Parts: sequence; structure tokens; C-alpha cells
Amino acid sequence: MRQIYICTDTITGLYSALHDAWAENRDGDAGISLKGRAQQQLFCQYKTVVETEQKARRLERMIRRYMGYNTYWDIYHALLSEDCEKGTAVFRTMQAARRIEDSRRIMEHLGDQDVAKVFAMSRSVSNEAHMYEEFIRFRELDSGILFSEISPKAQILTCIADHFADRFPLENWMIYDKVHEVFLVHKKQERWALVWGGMADADALERVSENEKDYEKLWQIFFSSISVRERENPKCQRNHLPFRFRPEMTEFAEEK
Amino acid sequence: MQDRIHTGMTLEEKLDVLSDAAKYDVSCTSSGVDRKGDGTGMGNCSKAGICHSFSSDGRCISLLKILFTNECIYDCRYCVNRSSNDIVRASFTPEEVCTLTMEFYRRNYIEGLFLSSGVLKSPDYTMELIYATLYRLRHVCRFQGYIHVKAIPGANQRLIRLTGYLADRMSVNLELPTAGSLRLLAPHKSRRNILTPMRLVQNLSEENRQEIALYRNAPRFVPAGQSTQMIIGATPETDRQILNVAESLYKKFDLKRVFYSAFVPVNKDSALPVLPGDKPPLLREHRLYQADWLLRFYHFEAAELLDEDNPNFNVLLDPKCCWALRHLEQFPVEVNRADYRMLLRVPGIGYKSAVRIVKARKMGQLTFDDLKKTGVVLKRALYFITCGGRMMYPVRMDEDYITRNLLNTRDKLLGGSDGITFRQLSLFDDMNFNGVDIR
Repeated sequence: MRQIYICTDTITGLYSALHDAWAENRDGDAGISLKGRAQQQLFCQYKTVVETEQKARRLERMIRRYMGYNTYWDIYHALLSEDCEKGTAVFRTMQAARRIEDSRRIMEHLGDQDVAKVFAMSRSVSNEAHMYEEFIRFRELDSGILFSEISPKAQILTCIADHFADRFPLENWMIYDKVHEVFLVHKKQERWALVWGGMADADALERVSENEKDYEKLWQIFFSSISVRERENPKCQRNHLPFRFRPEMTEFAEEK
Repeated sequence: MQDRIHTGMTLEEKLDVLSDAAKYDVSCTSSGVDRKGDGTGMGNCSKAGICHSFSSDGRCISLLKILFTNECIYDCRYCVNRSSNDIVRASFTPEEVCTLTMEFYRRNYIEGLFLSSGVLKSPDYTMELIYATLYRLRHVCRFQGYIHVKAIPGANQRLIRLTGYLADRMSVNLELPTAGSLRLLAPHKSRRNILTPMRLVQNLSEENRQEIALYRNAPRFVPAGQSTQMIIGATPETDRQILNVAESLYKKFDLKRVFYSAFVPVNKDSALPVLPGDKPPLLREHRLYQADWLLRFYHFEAAELLDEDNPNFNVLLDPKCCWALRHLEQFPVEVNRADYRMLLRVPGIGYKSAVRIVKARKMGQLTFDDLKKTGVVLKRALYFITCGGRMMYPVRMDEDYITRNLLNTRDKLLGGSDGITFRQLSLFDDMNFNGVDIR
């Protein structure tokens, strides 16, 4: 019987599931499914994982120690992806790493199907995170907080947090992931934090500061005047800046 | 600042005029320097650079690209700001530039500032204003993001040096590829005048590198290096001449980037060419950039890409494909054994996938399926590689045959211009087989 572990779609949940799968089934076949997104299959046993911080930390330490930081980086990013099968792919990658001589170099083993999948997921998540570092637009609320809303496919907030914390250390800023309903909050001169399940006052988010509209206008003026008319190329623009990012960007606000 | 005309302009009007005047400068990169914020101000830089938006011409917007002023004492024939043009003139104040930069940067609109300028009164006077702006931005606003600034040819060396310690990248525009065309189109500028500050920045960077080796905390002079740009298609140079100029700039002046700017006719002038179809030579510019990449990342030499018999790039095929087709005796290469440099020369294999191939093949024989996963463009590469001694399909190593096949994959684009005019028949097509014209 194939054992399937069911967990929530969070890093703690997935690490706990990997932890249990590794403890009980590292030589056998096992799968990891996400709660609410699992498809029932024949000849499988299902088990809901007890998720704890301790298991997560233990598994993270193991990956870093035996598979190296670079592999850990790839696995972490892969686990943020929107793919339902991510847990299983990572589990099989860990099994494959065990079979080769130098486990730290497992990510070079792209001939392996599961390694290739983890690589592809990690690449797509980190690419999306990079896109959001580029395309996030803050607006200044009347309380002085810089606020932004995004709707990413993967849970990229933790990937972009360090970047913005380093960039705006003296600002209070906040990014809201509408899809996964998570806030990334940074208080002036403090570390950033993730907040789940909080609800912000919708009115407060619409009350922008006095100068905000002026700077939005200035930016729109700049955006239209910087383009060279003779070189117009909407296809190229679409390639670099896909439509799905545009509703949340200041310079495309009029097209909404 | 009593010299300014139009003192009554609003910030919006000024931004409109001065960004519109700056848009013909192509360089908008924010790359080349990695700097973390120190926690006392705002901003950081990332080595690869970050684009923040893309304008409707498909070019990236990374920096707030503006002129300090579009008043200019020079009369270059290709330039929209030439002194004999009757256009709205405006100038920023240093404070205005700083406010715009900081407020845009806070909202994550931009990665930094690109400050260029027309020459107001004299090169020294202009350079001083630029220096004042950067000083305020760095030391009063405590801005730690990216700054790209123009060195004004003819300005005092000391001013250029001081400005360089505040900026991340400096550039002097070469404007036109040869001294002759410069004389023709930019009568107030001379080749020597342009190369002098370029050499100065190079020497100062070299000195600075020594200082940093000695004293870790020595101030950095233009850490992201210098770049330049030239206009393509305004004068009759061939691609070969242009590429040779670029290569020698990379070698002799240690430039980070050379930018090519397809000539856009903004002025009506008898010395300027009339472009076919009134379109800027965008494809030519594209081919030059492709070749530029081959020089910088793929270990090619300019002389390998173009010679006296082929002074211009092929319209249909990119420079790397052309080179490979002329050197078929070196192909096909065995992916599992060829060295890194040879892999780089295969069309369809980029430097990232070349690295991945070299790593992955240590683990076992690579197949064509594996190659696809590493990011190799097989539809181009398949004519030039073997995997485990076999090609993907049986291919005749013949220049015409491969050329035709390479072009076929882009059949739609070319519309049968390579001599093949087949098309899929459908039942209701009137192909006029009887030769009777029914119109």
C-alpha cells in the first residue's frame, strides 16, 4: 500500500509531512498531498500529518546539512509553488540524493524526472518573485504607510521580504497577497513578519496621503513620454510585462 | 539659477518636457554594482539590475531618465535639443530632481536616477549643476540606489572626478561611430573631446581599484563602470566598422557596455539620411546587440563574425547561426564531450545552458530530452549537435539545406521569401487551376 501524507499548503506543513515520510518510508514509496486539493486514489493509505515547528526545523536542518545550501534554496522555492504534487517531487528528490555519491550535487542531476521537476518549480517561483520585486507599486496611505496589493500564483512573499526590508529600512510598509490572504508587514527599523488571517480596514487602505495622487500623475506622465513612438512594439512590452501584473500597477491604472 | 527660461513651469510640465527630451538615450540599465543598504537611508543596488516597467516601445524602464536641462549651446544635427530647434526649453532645480527621485523610488517605480543634460552656458557650468544635484541626493536625502550620470565632454577634470565618486555608472556618448561622421553631423563635438573624459574615467577607475585593494573602505569611483552609445543608421558605416569600434572600446577603454541606438529622424536636415519606410533600422540594431553579446559572453572576436566580403549582418539569420553555417567543418559537436567554449558556439545553446550541460553530463549520458530541460533551443541546435553519437534527425551537413530548414521554422514570419511557396490546401480554396481569371 502506498502511504500518502496530507498536510496544509504551508512551509511548516510540507516540512512536517516530509519529516514523517522520511522517518517512516524513506526506502519505500510515499506521496504528499495538500489538504483540500488531494485526489483520492486506489491502493493508497491516507494519513493527516501533525504539523509542528519542531519537525519543520529538524527537516530543514537535515536538508541543509546533507544536501547543501543551494539544494535547500531550490527545495524551499519549489515548496512555495502552486503545483499540488510539489511535496512528492521533493520527497523523491531527497530519495534520489541518497542514492548518489555526493548528495550536495543532486540539483545537477537534471536527467532525473523529479529533480527536473523540483528545478522547474524552483525556477518558476524565483522568477515570479523577481517579477514582483520589479512590478510591485506602493501607494502612500494617509498614515504614512506604504501599501501594495498583489495576486501572485506562488506564495512569494518571503522571497521578496529581505529585498524590500533592505531597501526601505526607515519606512513602514505592507504587502498584501490577495490570493493566499497573507500580509507581509515591515515596521520601521524592525524585522519583517508574515501575518495570516488578519483583516485590514478596507476604507483605511483607500485613504491615500495628500501628495499621493500628484506622484501617481507624475509617474504616468513620465511613463507615456519616455516611449519612442517610432519604435512602438506592444508585443515586446507584453513579453516582458504580462497582462496579469498590470491591474495592480500605477502606470496602467487608467486602462482598468 | 537666474538663467532659466520658463520659470513659471509646473513640475508636471517640466517632467514631461525633460523626460521626452531624454528618451533617445538608450542606456537604462541599473546593473553592475551590488550594494546593501546601510540602514540609515533608502535604497540598495543589485548586481543584475532591476527593470521596473516596460514602456509601449518594449524598452525597459529602470531609471528615472531625465535631462537636467534641454537648453543646449550645441547644434548637433540629429539631436532633438539642438540649439536651432524651436522647442519648449526647461530646467530642473537640484531640489526638484531629488524630490522626484526619492518619491518615485519609495513607491518602487524606479531603481534610481539617470541624469543627462544639454549643455547650459558651458560644460563646466552644467557639470557643476549635475554635481550639486548628486551631492544633495547622496548626502542630504541619503539615497543609496543607483545613479547613472553623463560626463559632459569638455568639463573640468576635477568636477568629473568628484561626480564619479557619487555615481554608480558614468557614460560619455560616442554619438557616431567614426570621426568623419561626427564632423559631419555634430560640428561642435570632436572625437578627441569625447575620448578624453572616457580615458579619464578609465584611469581614475584603475587608480581607485588600487586604493580599494589597499584600504577596504576607500570611496568607490564609478563602481559599475562606464558605458557609451552610438547612433546607428544616420551615417553610412557598415556593421563591420561599428562592431570593430565596439570591440576596441571594450578592449582599450575597458567599457562595461556599448549601446546602439537606431537612428530616429527627429529633425529635418539635409545632412541626415531619409530612412526607407520612415522606420528606424531596428533589425540592424538588434543584430548588433546580438553580436555584442557574442563578443562579451561567448568569446567571439569581431573579425570572426564579419569580414570584408560580408561587411553587414544577415537579415534573416542571427550572427551566431551565420558563423556556424560558414564553419560547418567544426560541426556536429558531441554534447557529451565537447568543451565549454565549443558548446558556447553552438546556435541554440546559451551560456546558462552550456554551464548546465557541463555539470549534468558528469552524472551520465545526456539525451535530447535532457537537453530540452536544460533550456537548449533544439529547433536551432539540432543541426549542429549529436547526443551519444547520433543526431536528432538525419541531417545533411550542407549549408543550403540547413539554412532552408532553419528559416522554415519561422515560415510565418518570412512568408515564403526564401523561395518556398507551399501552403496547405483546403477544400474551399479557389486556387484557379484552370487558368481562367474569374475576377
